Amino acid sequence: MDVDLSPEDLAFQEDVRDFLASNAHDPKTDYGQWRMNWFELAKAKGGWDVPKWPVAFGGPGWTPTQHYIWEKETAVAQTPWDLPFGLSMLAPVLMNYGNEEQQQRFLPDIRARKVNWCQGYSEPNAGSDLANLKTKAELSQDGTYYTVTGTKIWTTLAHIADWIFCLTRTSDSGKKQEGITFLLIPMKQAGIEVKPIITLGGSHTVNMVHLTDVKVPVENRVGEEGKGWGYAKGLLAHERTGLAGISKSLVALDYLRLQAGSVKRGNATLLDDTAYKSKLAELEIDLLATEFTELRSLASAANGAEPGPESSILKLKGTEIQQRIQKLTVEAGGLYSAAWGKQPVGHSFAKGGMSGYLSSRAYTIYGGASEVQKDVVAKNVLGLKKAK
Amino acid sequence: MNFDLSEEQQLLKDSVDRFVGDNYDLDTRQKLSKNEAGFSDTYWQTMAELGWLGVTVPEAHGGFGGNQADTMVLMEAFGKGLVLEPFFASAVLGTRAIVGGGSEELQSKLLPQLLTGTSRLSLAYAEEQSRFDLEDVVTRATPNDDGYTITGQKSMVQHGGSADYFVVSARTSGGQRDESGITLFLVDAKSDGVSVDAFPTVDGQQAAELRFDNVQVGRGDRLGEQDAGYGLLQDIAIDGILALSAEAVGAMEILYKDTVAYTQEREQFDHRLSDFQVLQHRMVEMFMEYEQCKSMLYRATLEVVQNGREAMRVVHALKYMVGKVGTFIGENAVQLHGGMGVTEELRIGHYFKRLLVIDAQFGNSDHHLACFAE
Repeated sequence: MDVDLSPEDLAFQEDVRDFLASNAHDPKTDYGQWRMNWFELAKAKGGWDVPKWPVAFGGPGWTPTQHYIWEKETAVAQTPWDLPFGLSMLAPVLMNYGNEEQQQRFLPDIRARKVNWCQGYSEPNAGSDLANLKTKAELSQDGTYYTVTGTKIWTTLAHIADWIFCLTRTSDSGKKQEGITFLLIPMKQAGIEVKPIITLGGSHTVNMVHLTDVKVPVENRVGEEGKGWGYAKGLLAHERTGLAGISKSLVALDYLRLQAGSVKRGNATLLDDTAYKSKLAELEIDLLATEFTELRSLASAANGAEPGPESSILKLKGTEIQQRIQKLTVEAGGLYSAAWGKQPVGHSFAKGGMSGYLSSRAYTIYGGASEVQKDVVAKNVLGLKKAK
Repeated sequence: MNFDLSEEQQLLKDSVDRFVGDNYDLDTRQKLSKNEAGFSDTYWQTMAELGWLGVTVPEAHGGFGGNQADTMVLMEAFGKGLVLEPFFASAVLGTRAIVGGGSEELQSKLLPQLLTGTSRLSLAYAEEQSRFDLEDVVTRATPNDDGYTITGQKSMVQHGGSADYFVVSARTSGGQRDESGITLFLVDAKSDGVSVDAFPTVDGQQAAELRFDNVQVGRGDRLGEQDAGYGLLQDIAIDGILALSAEAVGAMEILYKDTVAYTQEREQFDHRLSDFQVLQHRMVEMFMEYEQCKSMLYRATLEVVQNGREAMRVVHALKYMVGKVGTFIGENAVQLHGGMGVTEELRIGHYFKRLLVIDAQFGNSDHHLACFAE
């Protein structure tokens, strides 16, 4: 067992660093132009624009170690903004369960960042219990289209999305998990209404999406009717690993130290405060361990295997760590953390801190609440019978 | 031994509970918080008419002559309604400063205005560098023939934008972090050289940054003896901590009760959420911590009523608990409400935000734990 980087890995790391450094954004140039150009250049490096895609679909086919290096390096470098919905959530489903026509129709636009997707899973009565979803999709008599009616909730960025990938119910008989069908639906059409939900930080990211008699051609169904649950489940595991955000947390912790160091207490700073210092240390220790838990998980998921139940551990630990970083940012801001509104007051980081903290409370709710993640670990890892 | 409210306190409680119940549903509250002043003038007048603004004003000046326990009754109810009016800023902190340090003449002039709600006070004690240390004061007051001139900056002054007068801590001698050498002054907000930059806070309330540029105050505007203001500032902070803690306990009660109610309505996995043992235990912990906070609130309040500043240690204990438990209850109320918990739509998020701000006011959990341990 060792975690030393091989000469090949070190060379790769150099290559990544060079790429990121030489393609950083020059503030004098147009951001959108740079962003598109960056993805083109990354593509030319051999699929670096789609690091997690398999080779067959143009991905780079990296080893777990290479993925780890990429995560580490991109966490500290400036990379263009990107959204996971099409790229990391839908694309794997299409690759595994979509037909060739669908793959050719949708994957290139996802890869080119031309089309924005959103995820239509949760419903008002189907949150943690996702299989309880009720959005109805009825096949027309001639079998050419579905008529979809229902309500989706917590739909991130639905207001800017071109398409939604949706779990719908095509049958009520049998187990709840059966009778769920995976449909791809254009957002900009009559019958789809997007209502903003304002969250505690005061921002508009999530939405309620009402679908009323929306006609969806059968060509937009992924896989078989009634098998959508199985397709989505694999995807949820992908989503959970992505939510752990370990590399980003390591960077955030460094930044937090800088902030705390700028908070003066007489001749000392907040970094000299015993209680605060201990909390930072505990956080770092947890992060050091979780980083290795992620490495172990990466190693076992080598060669494109689906992430297993250990992804739940990472989501649980990773999100809790992110929340603690946010809480300590608020504490560092002291009274100034209470400031709100437009103008900056006191410490430059204080106001954003509260907003970040409030947003972070959702981390242990979305993508499967922590309580449900623990059920998954109990059942799938420890082999325990389902408790009430 | 008796933890019951006195007959007078019970009447006070009934009337404030009714006020909050009738006037403070979430929609009304959110609309009021977007007013220019950030609260309702009508409600403020109601508070004056019901005698609440004079709850701690001595009877000789027309007040109720009450103590911290009476304030507690009001503040706990205000916490349940997330009340916006500057009762805490003016009737608790400001009034304490005037009663504790104002000359007889100043009291006779100002207390009637405070009682009737025609004037409002705000306490300006924190500075950009001071964090939670009351004694860390750079703002300087220099004596001259007519009194003093004040120059400096004050931070996060609650309701500073709508205050008629400020109670300002300023250094008249000593070094930046010396306890001695601090003097408190009353400053008219309209004085030359005062600039006020008001803004909202995350809990829907109001605060301001203040600047004083050679502001002239009279000798009669000095509260207490020169250089000996730190003790009075501590007294004000103690009353402030007790009042904020009572407000926090009121907010915690809403949070844990709303959570118990919500989990009994919401069904997932063919069960009410409240059927899941892990959630039941979490709510039991929320309830227990709330009750513990309430006990500490009673303990600290009674000790301060009896022993004043001597009771400082238990006041530290209280504020530590309020911060820690407030965060625990708030975070779990949000978690157990799931996605709904992080929206502006439900009231729990607003109570949570208030608890977060209370933790930062007059020193957070860590600060008071360290003080207690010393």
